[in-house]
Amino acid sequence: MNHHAFLLWWGRIFTITIKELKQLIRDPVLLLIIAYFFTIDVYMAGSGINLSLRNASVMVIDHDHSAASRELIYRFRQPYFDFKGEISGKNEAEQLLNKGQILAVLDIPENFQRHLLQGQPETVQFQVDTSNTVLGTLVTTYAMEITADFGQDFVGKQMGINTDPMAALPVIQNRYRVLYNPNRIDSWFMSIMELLTVITMLSMMLPAAAAVREKERGTIEQLTVSPLSSLQILLPKVISMGLVILFGVAVCLFLIIIPFFHLPVRGSISLFFAVTALYVFTASGIGLFIATISRSLGQVTMLVILLMMPILLLSGAWTPPEAMPQVMRWGMVISPLSYYNEMAYAILLKGAGIDILWDSILGLTVLGAVFFNFGVWRFRRQFG
Amino acid sequence: MNFTRIWAVTYKEWREIFRDRLFFTMAFVLPISIFLVVGFGISFDVEKITFAVLDQDNTAMSRDFLHRFIDSRYFDYKGHVQSEREFDPLLADSDIRFAIIIPPRFEEQLLSGQATSVQSLIDGVFPYRAEVAKGYVSAIIANFNAQSLADHLARKRGITKGQAIVQVSPLRLESRYLYNQALRSQWSISSGLMMLVLMVAPPFLTALGVVREKENGSIYNIYASTISRSEFILGKLLPYLLISCLNILILWWLVMHVFGTPFKGHPLFYYIASVIYVICTVGVGLVVSLLVRTQVAAVMLTIVLSFVPAMLYSGLLVPIESMGMATQVESHLFPTFYYLRITWGSFLKGLGWVELWFDVAVLVSYALILGVIGFLNFHKRPAE
Repeated sequence: MNHHAFLLWWGRIFTITIKELKQLIRDPVLLLIIAYFFTIDVYMAGSGINLSLRNASVMVIDHDHSAASRELIYRFRQPYFDFKGEISGKNEAEQLLNKGQILAVLDIPENFQRHLLQGQPETVQFQVDTSNTVLGTLVTTYAMEITADFGQDFVGKQMGINTDPMAALPVIQNRYRVLYNPNRIDSWFMSIMELLTVITMLSMMLPAAAAVREKERGTIEQLTVSPLSSLQILLPKVISMGLVILFGVAVCLFLIIIPFFHLPVRGSISLFFAVTALYVFTASGIGLFIATISRSLGQVTMLVILLMMPILLLSGAWTPPEAMPQVMRWGMVISPLSYYNEMAYAILLKGAGIDILWDSILGLTVLGAVFFNFGVWRFRRQFG
Repeated sequence: MNFTRIWAVTYKEWREIFRDRLFFTMAFVLPISIFLVVGFGISFDVEKITFAVLDQDNTAMSRDFLHRFIDSRYFDYKGHVQSEREFDPLLADSDIRFAIIIPPRFEEQLLSGQATSVQSLIDGVFPYRAEVAKGYVSAIIANFNAQSLADHLARKRGITKGQAIVQVSPLRLESRYLYNQALRSQWSISSGLMMLVLMVAPPFLTALGVVREKENGSIYNIYASTISRSEFILGKLLPYLLISCLNILILWWLVMHVFGTPFKGHPLFYYIASVIYVICTVGVGLVVSLLVRTQVAAVMLTIVLSFVPAMLYSGLLVPIESMGMATQVESHLFPTFYYLRITWGSFLKGLGWVELWFDVAVLVSYALILGVIGFLNFHKRPAE
């Protein structure tokens, strides 16, 4: 290819890219929605969502009314629990649990304090609403920890086992350090996760919509009789939508996530954007493939959602890979989001560089090349 | 109201759906596949957390302690390292999720009745997983400590080991899991998914059905005809409503027979409540279609109004109790929140009309409001 042909080739790409951008700008509702996704949507996911336990409402049936029972109740407090008061009997408890007004009931038996003082083993009952298992499990775990601690402290104090200078007893002290996000701030995780979901959705949807719209309106015929090659028709759609998405990511990162959630960016921002561009390219490849097998936008939407759900679920963003069955862990190999997800968190939170991430970058590049070429090949067969 | 005209629109719409084979298949395939993918894909039962060990003591006792981790099904042992520095790249590349360091003189200190400390480094990128991992580590250490303490007390005070154990852990919490005794997260998630799927699929179908006419221009035939606004809306929505009513039954069957979730409530009550919910979600699609001009915009807006609240703000994955105030208010604004209560109440708690009438009433008013908004915003003489 000589110099002139090279310029001509890219000149055509440039012209069509401008055309795509103009078309997008003329749909103000769509632009508004894209802006919403990159700003308010990510902000809300980051600010309001907490995956850990907060304020679980608990009520108590206290049959003992002693100093010990009061002290135990007092330990069920914020941030994990929200003590809603005492109730008299089991029936009332059941009704409140049924209605979902409270999550758990603590039932302290008679002679609670006396048994503890006499050194007899004692049990308190705890009824938990487990219709939401995540919540039910967390509530139970915390309640167990609280009661066990209380029992040890109470008896220790009474029996004169001196628990204060721990050094005098043969125990292991549990010292843990949570790395990368020491205070376990959910908003760091949630806002990035929502951003990745938004990127996935838009980079599959927007190029696919741009391509299938030409088919629906018949303008594709005009493009195919022009001197443009299949690649020159499809690539500008990916480039233009990719530019819009990268711009959105920049807005989201610099105007929402960093200022509002104080995300400490530990790695290289340019590496993050490079990886994002690679991912957008890969996901648009899937979008283009969908566009070639659909005839209308209705079909595109259905197929995008159909493919997007497994991609999201196999990414490790919704469900930690540790919680997946083995078959699904293997499935993660072909979900482009699983590579991108890993890299995005590694770059932003762990400060990882190319030396550590090269294998994920390679995996994503291979997937991207396969998807994109497959999309172009299908398109060429249809219109070429 | 002229039923012949309503029927005419319904029949036309039905023919159109039926002729678009892909669209028609997807109308049933999409809900079912989302349901199966998410149902099998989402799990919060974290197991096989990868970890590595630095054992600076290397004695019988340290190995015994480590075996409690290595043999646990919650952990996946990846090997020993020789120095703390080796952990950094392993953690950064997510090869391991946590590291455990046993200090020198571990055995010596414990045997001489002194405390020692074990350090763990936990990857905090996914705060939920970090929380769970921390919980498992604490439980193993607490268990080890209880034994070590009981041994120590028994030796020192000359009491039996049984007495010593009571002294070490005098109080126990006995949990009763209501509604989901075996704590199967698939029960809550699969039934909860009825809410998600019925929120996602119907609005898409509806919104695309109406906007397609707008984008193609065939809506002008309607504008020019004698049909009234409410007749058109009703006729247009009926086919989508029927498809969704059928989907309710299919999903219900899947929840019970594929995921083995019991249904303890009243079938007729639940079916009626579900139909009202579907009227709401179809109504969301209607309102969306009236606000936008292009199909892409319709799809995006539907995602904002249906998918995001169903996934994040309904209480399915994220406990409502843990949300911030603003997000809690937001979650009450969407019908998903109320229908999820009806679903879990019906499937797992065995509740009926008496306990859940309020939630049904909210859904009914929701449907009415959406209907009125739709009616008022649909004009046969659109302002240019």
